[in-house]
Amino acid sequence: MIRRTLLVVVLVLAGCSAGRGGPAITLTATLTTPVDIDLRWEGAEPGTAAQIAEFATDPRGPWTILEFLPPDRRTYRHPDLMPRTAFSYRIRPVLGPATPPVPIRLTAPSFDVAAPADLSWAAPRSLPGTTGNGVPGGAPTGLLAEPRTRDAILLTWTDTSSDEEGFLVEILPQGAAAWSVVMVVDPDITSVGVQALDTERTADIRVRAHHYGTPSGTATRTTGG
Amino acid sequence: MRRRAAAVLAAVLALAAAPSPASAAPLETGPWTSYSPTFDLQQRGCGTASGLTFRLTCSTASGDQRAERRYATYSSGVRQFEGYFRITSMPGSRISLKQTFGPSGPFFMLAVERGGRLYAVHGGTTLATGATVGTEVRVNTVHNTGNGAHRTYINGSNRHSQTGGGGGYYDKFGAYRTESGAGPVDVTWSGIQFWRK
Repeated sequence: MIRRTLLVVVLVLAGCSAGRGGPAITLTATLTTPVDIDLRWEGAEPGTAAQIAEFATDPRGPWTILEFLPPDRRTYRHPDLMPRTAFSYRIRPVLGPATPPVPIRLTAPSFDVAAPADLSWAAPRSLPGTTGNGVPGGAPTGLLAEPRTRDAILLTWTDTSSDEEGFLVEILPQGAAAWSVVMVVDPDITSVGVQALDTERTADIRVRAHHYGTPSGTATRTTGG
Repeated sequence: MRRRAAAVLAAVLALAAAPSPASAAPLETGPWTSYSPTFDLQQRGCGTASGLTFRLTCSTASGDQRAERRYATYSSGVRQFEGYFRITSMPGSRISLKQTFGPSGPFFMLAVERGGRLYAVHGGTTLATGATVGTEVRVNTVHNTGNGAHRTYINGSNRHSQTGGGGGYYDKFGAYRTESGAGPVDVTWSGIQFWRK
């Protein structure tokens, strides 16, 4: 009986800490200097569209996103850290389908609207009739990028997913090597304004219905200093 | 024996299901003592606050537009502030989110501009670039009133250090239009904690 109970305990622990099949990502953290920690990880969950590096000063959380990273990144440096403090880390894959890219061209003089302008249209909102009929894993459809001011565009799309944890707005400026996340909005949002930087006036943009995959194990190091 | 095994299993399950703490331990070497200063709510112009959500609803680029908590004045010891902010919407730019005020005005002002750049209003130094709309950012400030040292940590990294000043200080956070800024903005703070030693 004891043996059977211990087996249950082991299975419970394995299930809680690793999820089904265990984490695909193996993470190590190295205290490279007294106040710099370098992360290195191996492995990836199939279908990973992006990754997030997260930290906490208590291994139970709360966890804070340090950065959205491209799917092929395997290193991250957390620099200039608070001295004599324990830092815990994990890597989480970001999964989910995106719309096809849509070009944005904020170059037309007709959009040189004098400030101040009413920007209330840019707040995240759920437009009537654009959400609520989703299926698990459905990709957003019908993405439109409409210039509204010299610097801003209005994005609208249709939510076809029933299980998204939110939507990522991703941008690829002309000449850039990789997409980057510029905004995260809540589930069921289907309209939001995006203020473009000077480097983003000619770019492609897309929206991803995302959810998080199985996180890596936790790696903890304590700074010196 | 069966009861003991069941107890072990229950303990394991409880440990595995333990909720995350409401907030993290303070950073830097202690010992720190937690305390809860009082505050006044400041709402001016198009600024409104509901709980820990602060909004500027207009894009007016002049006048006093603010929604902030102004905490009680302190004048001794070492003080640490911790909080997490999440910008849910920011069509505007150059909005001050957290300030450490000195006796003769803002001692340190943390602001955000379009694209998620965090900067120190006085001097314009870039502190970080990852204040992506929709994600939480952790802010710690440590202020030694004895020698005037003030350090700002963004997501655990020391991004700004300064010294100077004397007398009474206080913390403010929320949303405040800087001289060159304008809303709208919608920001929610959480996990607010204060410590002293």
